[in-house]
Amino acid sequence: MTGLMRPGPFSPAFSSHPNATPDGKAVHTRFIEWIWHITGSLALTPEQASKAFDRLAPLFHQPGTSHETSGDTLTFHKKDPASQDKMSVFNSGVLRIENAQDGPVLRYRLVSRALLYCFLAPLMFLAFAQVTVAIGKLEGASKDAAAEKPKEKDVVLPQNPIDRFLGAPAPEKPKKKKGDDEDKKPSPTASYVFAALFAALYVAGRLLEDWLAKRLFRKSLSEA
Amino acid sequence: MDGVRVGNRMIGTTAPVIVGWDNIGTVEGGPIKQFVFRWFQPTMLFALIAFWYYAPNSIAKTSTAIGIGIGFKVMLLALEWVNPRYESWSLTWKELVTDLFYVSLGYTVLAMIERYIGSDAVIEAVQHSFDWSKLAWFIGLPLLLQAFLISFIFDFGQYWMHRGMHNWYPLWLPHSVHHYITQFNINKGAVGNPVELFLIGIGIGGFFDFLPRAALLAGAMGLAVGTYQHINVRFNSPRWWRFLFNTTEHHSVHHSQDFEASRSNFAGTYIFIDRMFGTCVDGEAELLGLEGGRRMSIREQMTYPFTEGWKAIKARWGKAGSSEPLVVPAE
Repeated sequence: MTGLMRPGPFSPAFSSHPNATPDGKAVHTRFIEWIWHITGSLALTPEQASKAFDRLAPLFHQPGTSHETSGDTLTFHKKDPASQDKMSVFNSGVLRIENAQDGPVLRYRLVSRALLYCFLAPLMFLAFAQVTVAIGKLEGASKDAAAEKPKEKDVVLPQNPIDRFLGAPAPEKPKKKKGDDEDKKPSPTASYVFAALFAALYVAGRLLEDWLAKRLFRKSLSEA
Repeated sequence: MDGVRVGNRMIGTTAPVIVGWDNIGTVEGGPIKQFVFRWFQPTMLFALIAFWYYAPNSIAKTSTAIGIGIGFKVMLLALEWVNPRYESWSLTWKELVTDLFYVSLGYTVLAMIERYIGSDAVIEAVQHSFDWSKLAWFIGLPLLLQAFLISFIFDFGQYWMHRGMHNWYPLWLPHSVHHYITQFNINKGAVGNPVELFLIGIGIGGFFDFLPRAALLAGAMGLAVGTYQHINVRFNSPRWWRFLFNTTEHHSVHHSQDFEASRSNFAGTYIFIDRMFGTCVDGEAELLGLEGGRRMSIREQMTYPFTEGWKAIKARWGKAGSSEPLVVPAE
């Protein structure tokens, strides 16, 4: 193992950072990266540290996944991973074994575009809600200008005797109620509901995937 | 792989498919679990029919149907967790979010488009020019017969539309995207290119809060049968149910990686339509998808029909040497 005692993933000198430029300088998106980057660390025993990448390797032997180990660093990329891939939520990542004061540590930084898009989804739905409201206003203006339609005639609808015998309610045409035209305006409610739903899903996913990644690495490392 | 002969066709020669009801998996557990997962589907069907048959006019409307549909799907989502059919189809956070993105399209963007040029616009045109007296003979039929006829005629049309999608390249392109799903979950039916979703009218149609009771009953029949198509739940459905209705087992054969198996079970609700035309295969499959199970990203699903269509146009009318389309339907 080489390169122990290197700076951690939060350090500017963590040159294998997925957003690093070719000359090794990290792009200054650090303050918002937590949205779609999952970072963490796991304490290793010296025995685990020596075999860590061998034990983690099966996680990267998946369709659509490429990985490369260089000394104490493993980098991986995924393209269209299968739904059954346990790390399918991540597109790329860097795992590094470092020698901390208390012993060897596995540090990782995993990048998930799914988390990013889920974070942005509420904004998209809020924007669509505003478009819906604007269309409703436009439609309202054009309807006011239109002439009133003639009243529909009352029609008695037939009902089969079997249904009458079995007690089904008699059919009727809906009566025109005040405010019906208002109800027919496009409603932004669905957009607001989905904005809230995706916001909640983001929070749940950010916490869940963080926990699942750590659990997956811990389990793989402890397997003999 | 040897495959199994079904009629004139060999099923399961390129990917594993289980053929025959005696060979598929069954519900594991005690007598109560066995009972619940045997009778759940028929019970829900009859309960929904009874509800829509007797519901007062004040609540027998489309918004109620949408509410019931959402509640029913949430309940089925819980069932997937309780009694999954395949562990490899377990719902992950990413799958849930992806599926819900497509569901959300149906409720927002597609609903808006349908309002102007899709099924909602057609319904409005029909309702405005509807002469009730000309349809008195139909409305005078027993309600359940009306509902069955509406449901059957719709499904008969869907059968041929769906079969057409698997046989004619321009229709296959938008539909092929849906076949890239590699597992079943309750909302997977919404996954697909918006062009296809628009074509088959998956928009919610809640704009008009009045539909004849028979249409609501027909919708309930579709909900209580068709909703299970993409579910990851193990049922011991009664034999008569599997003979009459499309099941998740039938539909998994349709989504199988085996090419010949994927050309089976086209109906959405009534599998006996497939039996009538010789396209039914009773069985199930776990390995789903195209191109060996490659999962397509949302971005590619949005563009795939257009990029592949462009390649096909260039191949036919453009300069020589253009690449062949990857996924081509037979016949």
